[in-house]
Amino acid sequence: MKDSCLSISELLEKYFDQEVTEGEKHLVENHLQNCPSCRDTLTSLEGLKSLIKAPVEKAAQEEDFPWVWQKIKREIQPQEKQGRWPSLRFWLVPSPLLKKKVWVPAVATAVLLMALTTQVIFKKTPSYSDASVVKYVESQTHHIMVYESENAKMTMIWLFDEGDQESSKS
Amino acid sequence: MISRCQQGDQEALKEIFDKYHKRVYRIAYGVVRHREEALDIVQEVFIKLFRSIKNFKGKSQFYTYLYRMVMNTAIDHSRKIGKQFISSLDAEGSFEPSEEIEKGPEKTLLQKELEEKVKWAMEKLPGEQRAALLFREVEGLSYQEMADAMGCSIGTVMSRLHYGRKRMQELLKDYVGPHGQTSGPSNPIKGEGIR
Repeated sequence: MKDSCLSISELLEKYFDQEVTEGEKHLVENHLQNCPSCRDTLTSLEGLKSLIKAPVEKAAQEEDFPWVWQKIKREIQPQEKQGRWPSLRFWLVPSPLLKKKVWVPAVATAVLLMALTTQVIFKKTPSYSDASVVKYVESQTHHIMVYESENAKMTMIWLFDEGDQESSKS
Repeated sequence: MISRCQQGDQEALKEIFDKYHKRVYRIAYGVVRHREEALDIVQEVFIKLFRSIKNFKGKSQFYTYLYRMVMNTAIDHSRKIGKQFISSLDAEGSFEPSEEIEKGPEKTLLQKELEEKVKWAMEKLPGEQRAALLFREVEGLSYQEMADAMGCSIGTVMSRLHYGRKRMQELLKDYVGPHGQTSGPSNPIKGEGIR
């Protein structure tokens, strides 16, 4: 390497990067005309640049980006909505369980159970509390007992034989 | 556009995405050299941007703010994935083509092998030197823009570029420069030279 190359080498990268002043540019270009070694250095810089840049450019040209934006959009949307209406959304949006129609048989079963339970609870048990003995007649051969309900819609007569054989008529 | 995005306008973010997504992808791909990883980085960067753009005060150019975010995210990814995508190397550090490379036709094989070699060399650089090379060689940023994006002085930018290039030239000496271009046919890869 010549002495002049040493002074130029500091400028050579700046020249390659187009960061030199007009004066520096002339200085480098004059030197390059007579120095194959520095021209080689410059060629190496150019080669390195191509090696780094070319595959990156190629990859960027081949890529399809719209779906990337769709993914970004999906990521940023929920954050905004949650910030405004977190609690309201919680109550308004039905749970995934309710979105499926599992509630139809569940409600039907509940209604059926309620109907059965109500019938059992409120069912009128047979009671004779409103019946009362009206008459009781004893004779040597027979005993007669007459029951009559309070509203007098029904009358029951028991006839007892001597041998405690019971019969009834109504 | 930026102030609308700062107020949470998603359409403004879409405009920013349309304008910058390729640049973001180029930087991301330049660091990780892996398609899916680079796309993940693009996605992560724009989500981060939407959530943190309120912190951008406008003291520097927006794209330098964005570039810094991309580079940090990409280097983080690169560290996380670790050896997963690192080119196969033997104990001496010499390069061996991966199985995927060996399957392709000869020309594709050579190109892919060269790409893997560049990737391997880039991974050898410290993050700052890698960033400097990508900002300059791929994005064509000026020294001042690089200094803004990297948060350092122009002198530091020049130093990082110089040492990064020097190291890459050492690692890729068979492929870079006049000797790499004119190598004999004994090694067809070497003979490919610069593309």
